[in-house]
Amino acid sequence: MSRDVQKEIQDLVSNNRVVLFMKGTPQFPQCGFSSAATQMLKSAGCNEFASVNVLADNDIREGVKAFANWPTIPQLYVDGEFVGGADIMRELAQSGELQTMISKPN
Amino acid sequence: MVTPEMVKGYIVAGLPCELIEVEGDGQHFYATIVSGEFRGLNMVKQQQKVFAVLGDRMKAEIHALSMKTYTPERWAETNS
Repeated sequence: MSRDVQKEIQDLVSNNRVVLFMKGTPQFPQCGFSSAATQMLKSAGCNEFASVNVLADNDIREGVKAFANWPTIPQLYVDGEFVGGADIMRELAQSGELQTMISKPN
Repeated sequence: MVTPEMVKGYIVAGLPCELIEVEGDGQHFYATIVSGEFRGLNMVKQQQKVFAVLGDRMKAEIHALSMKTYTPERWAETNS
């Protein structure tokens, strides 16, 4: 029986307002880009977000790349939508859009 | 080992660029890319275009590519 990874990812991003797919955990990031992404979310006032450690699950690691047609980690999703990787997060953080996106009421 | 020049070559082979600069250490690369092909696309779609050109190289040869993408118009504004 094979795993439906695409559905698992869809459920994760549907059931959590803010989801970060990253290498390592927010406490112990294992890549500079994932570490930066965590810091940017915290600076934007987002202290509670769902994080998925792709190093712990290779199916998710490869699956999430296909899911967004985006070959690198980290990947941020807000309200079920793919927002971008670390570079885009940085631009959005600098312009204030990341804060707006995260603080906006549902 | 992959050099920044090689990454630059891979990108320009599939995407007409008005300006492209790539730096890197063999694993992590940093690119600034100005292309008319980016017109009308948001940042995600602009970067997806570059990733599409690189294809499987992103899985094997290149560990990480950090990008700044600009349309020629936005590049002119940013540097005026």
